[in-house]
Amino acid sequence: MRIIARSGKSAAMRNSQPDSPVSSSTDQLAGAPAALTQLFESLRPDLLRFAQWLARDRAIAEDIVQESLLRAWRSRDALKDPAAARPWLLTIVRREHARLYERKRLELVSLDDVVETQAFPKVAEPDDDLFTLRHAIMKLPIEYREPLVLQVLGGFSAEEIAHELELSATAVLTRLFRARNKLRVLCGMTAAPDVAGDEAAP
Amino acid sequence: MNCQEARLQIGADPLAHSAELQEHLSGCADCRRFQAEMGAFEADIRRALARPPQLQRRARAAPPLWRQLALAASVAAAAVLLAGVWLLRPTDTLAHEVVVHVQGEPNSWFAAEHISSADIDAKLRRAGVVLDINSDQIMYAQSCWFRGHYVPHLVVQTTHGPATVMILKHEQLRTRQAFHESGLSGELVPVGAGSIAVLTRGDGSVDDITAQMQQDVHWMPDAH
Repeated sequence: MRIIARSGKSAAMRNSQPDSPVSSSTDQLAGAPAALTQLFESLRPDLLRFAQWLARDRAIAEDIVQESLLRAWRSRDALKDPAAARPWLLTIVRREHARLYERKRLELVSLDDVVETQAFPKVAEPDDDLFTLRHAIMKLPIEYREPLVLQVLGGFSAEEIAHELELSATAVLTRLFRARNKLRVLCGMTAAPDVAGDEAAP
Repeated sequence: MNCQEARLQIGADPLAHSAELQEHLSGCADCRRFQAEMGAFEADIRRALARPPQLQRRARAAPPLWRQLALAASVAAAAVLLAGVWLLRPTDTLAHEVVVHVQGEPNSWFAAEHISSADIDAKLRRAGVVLDINSDQIMYAQSCWFRGHYVPHLVVQTTHGPATVMILKHEQLRTRQAFHESGLSGELVPVGAGSIAVLTRGDGSVDDITAQMQQDVHWMPDAH
């Protein structure tokens, strides 16, 4: 699969983090491994959060991020612009997560067991009002959770998600619509009438 | 753009504001309401996702049954193997050590002097053994240090020639074991709680003396 290494911040990337403080000079990046390491490390919390929402397991998420950073380091020549590092690394993390499920059939555990007994602490969180919503996101099937997380956390456009997931743009729009609709239902809201979208691959 | 297309776009990306969508919203109150509703919900979704889920390291789930059974079978097989090694190794070693010991006293085969009953009894008692045997048959009697204990080392005259008998009170055997090594042949035979080793030079039979010893050897209780 192709690694996305965009040279700039597109309009669809409105959710991306601000540009890295590291200079965007390609020569400087290539010639300064320490700067690249620092850039990668500065993005690690974002990557870990992204991986945790995908994997729903901290240990697995840490492994995924570690492996992703290793792959990224080996392929660092593909990164021409530090400003593109975040979406590039997020893409690698997503693929590493997908690869994990391809090469290894993970043990299936009831999500209710994991979420209700372990995912949330007994003490109330400051954002207690989001407890139900966070729980609902965790319960979303991966085919809905993945595009949602890519869109909201990764800042990817529907077209970019479609390319990454090898789906049609309409299919991605449908999945995103249904993901939010399922969250509404799980949060006790009324479901919006479904739209007849096509979820087939392009 | 019709309402269905507009709702798909709003539901997929509540923050979207394409010109086409804006145009539709300007003339559709229902879709505007839907966008406002989804916009408010979207803010919550983004707040919810902004923090990582507070996951704990999951305790490793119990391995599947087939893996547990395979592990148990492996452990059992290893135990059987170890038990086999344990049972076989000492007797092999014992036979070898008996042969080495007898070879260390080569003159014992040629002893011809008469040994008194008292002398024989003394050597047997030192090893905690009582032997119902005619002392005239015994041509050689020593009390030898063998495997941490004093054991009677006798040479008994038989119809087939001299045979060496070592009475091993502290060596327990499960089965009778024949051996041939360094020109000596013999048997290790369980007797009561101990055993005896009977050897002869060459391929001579030890059946008679073995049978006799099995009847004649008695163990005295250990002194504490």
